[in-house]
Amino acid sequence: MSGQTHVRDSYRPPFHVENSAETILRFPFPFPEDSYMYSMNVEPHVRGGPVDAMSHTFDVDEHYVGECAEKARILAEDPKRCMVLPHMRDAEWDFLELGMDSLSTDYPEHFTLKKEGNDWLWENHLLNISQSFVFGDEATLPQAPFEYMARQMQGDFTLHDQRENDLWMDGGMVTSQADWSLKFDMGMSFRQWHAPVPKASEMGIFDRGLRFLLMLQYGRPVRRLNWTMTINPRLDTSPENYMIWGEDRASVTPENVAEKVHLRVELQTLYRLPRSNAILFAIRCYLLPIKDIMTVPKWRKRLHRVLRDLDPALASYKGLDLYRSTVVEFLRPYDDGASLSTGIQPV
Amino acid sequence: MAERMGFPAFIERVEGLTPTLRRFVLRKEKQIFPPVSPGSYAALEFGDGEKVYKNAYSIVERSEDGRELTVIVRLAPQSRGGSRFLHEKGRSGLPVWVGSVANLFPIVKTARRHLLLSAGIGITPFLSYLRKLRSIGADYTLHHFCRAEERSAFEALLAEQDQARVSVHTALPSEVGLADWLQDEAIATHVYFCGPEGFMKWVEETTHRCGFAPGKVHSEHFFVPEGGRPFEVILARSGRKIAVKADETLLEALEQADVDAPCMCRGGACGACAVTVLDGQPDHRDHVLTEAERASGNVILTCVSRAKTDTLTLDL
Ligand code: FES
Repeated sequence: MSGQTHVRDSYRPPFHVENSAETILRFPFPFPEDSYMYSMNVEPHVRGGPVDAMSHTFDVDEHYVGECAEKARILAEDPKRCMVLPHMRDAEWDFLELGMDSLSTDYPEHFTLKKEGNDWLWENHLLNISQSFVFGDEATLPQAPFEYMARQMQGDFTLHDQRENDLWMDGGMVTSQADWSLKFDMGMSFRQWHAPVPKASEMGIFDRGLRFLLMLQYGRPVRRLNWTMTINPRLDTSPENYMIWGEDRASVTPENVAEKVHLRVELQTLYRLPRSNAILFAIRCYLLPIKDIMTVPKWRKRLHRVLRDLDPALASYKGLDLYRSTVVEFLRPYDDGASLSTGIQPV
Repeated sequence: MAERMGFPAFIERVEGLTPTLRRFVLRKEKQIFPPVSPGSYAALEFGDGEKVYKNAYSIVERSEDGRELTVIVRLAPQSRGGSRFLHEKGRSGLPVWVGSVANLFPIVKTARRHLLLSAGIGITPFLSYLRKLRSIGADYTLHHFCRAEERSAFEALLAEQDQARVSVHTALPSEVGLADWLQDEAIATHVYFCGPEGFMKWVEETTHRCGFAPGKVHSEHFFVPEGGRPFEVILARSGRKIAVKADETLLEALEQADVDAPCMCRGGACGACAVTVLDGQPDHRDHVLTEAERASGNVILTCVSRAKTDTLTLDL
């Protein structure tokens, strides 16, 4: 990322988010083929991948400062966006350690971590933070360990306890979600919180997915991409704020479609945490407007095909009904029907 | 493909606890072992150049500085060689590869009270439990069962524990009144047990009889893969044929033949090594498959199970 240290972006009106050419090309475009069907599509989260957004444990990009500021604002308005049950204390420290270790290793120019036994010094140069604390002693940090770290990372995070052959959502910080709520899902099991997805459960995907996750091993994280669409560059499309963003969906016209409609991609990564045996679910959200997707010929053609042929039940579930045809009509002239390479890389 | 999971280490110290139990402290030269949750095991690989042994053992302790892991190994009479090798040749300096660390027997963090029941070598996962339960001020009790001649060894092992919460018994569980104690436990208590098969069966039946809900009863089987009749495996995708010897597991035979076979616990407890059976009849020896899956005969856990027929065709 470029060494940007000030808030440039606005994720609420008046919206202002600009993507550099580099940011556009490192976008995790979610469609490896011309048609889309729900699947597990899980792969090992190894360094490197078809796009640069996947090349680090946790991705930091040019929107880091702006997203952290937006997150802080949402948490100030609604502190319940961050909740952790008391039995997840070990998982909180696991998370803090994973975050600090990987950010300082992957981006030494922006983050440094010094450890002397349990005396740690953490420096975040992008947010001007310098904090010494005792690992394992909550009283030495300004916030609880999970909250402290999650505020300094892009994306949402949930913590899952494993018991009774299921995974329970027993903690999280969720400020950039695609229409789901931590308050609602807290304490739910894997099957309970996936219940609304159409078709997938009939396909047995969730049983297989759960069995897979229960065996997730330390040191072997996995990732997958999920997607939907959002009107305007809004990180926070929570159910609680539906009144605020819901009507945006009726505002799309052929004139503003390229500017307003964003492909919203979640790079989801899953980690087994060592001292708690909990699972960390990291959901990193990327928003790219149609106008930026237009600059990559392969992606704009593929997006046209996927949206045109999308299963209507899935389109409804993802909330695309009000504007899908407008997007398809807009993209159609730019798709010459040429065959495209498989995979999500830009060429 | 995926880089090899695990950590190179060597044996730092060996201590004899009883004639059949030895404690091995493994040390990592550079870096440190990751933290481990109570109840975790490590799949260890060791050998002498002639043969590589792969066995899973509970991690009894990870040292404060992260450089040492401790396991306790019992010399198993029916051992296929791994535990015998460690008892006879496991001296300080021997290299040991610490492979997949995982936890199939975690503490239920939401439980209000924990009742731990162990026999013999089954104490090992609870040695890490006890440290944790004590440090968080949990309500717990351990009853450990062993032979009379081993009593002092186990008492020494538990010497640093809160003595009000641990008891060592040399009589059978049925003789000391364990069934009555179970009966008296509150409905919210979680029961954990680990030990030889006879003990496991007794506790299983007794907790069931006392009305414990299945979600409150947790066990870990120490499963040593036993040998059996040799048979032949046919890999359907390549047509290759691999002989499985009497003293080797199906998984070991596949690994020996460089087949990329899945696995994790190597003891029939996790289900990671499941492979589809296309032909032949499996001889199931695991603790994972449901009755229905067993009856269907079209899946096998390669780390412990064998074949009833002369050949077994797998979807590999
Ligand atoms: S490897 Fe765990 S059951 Fe076979």
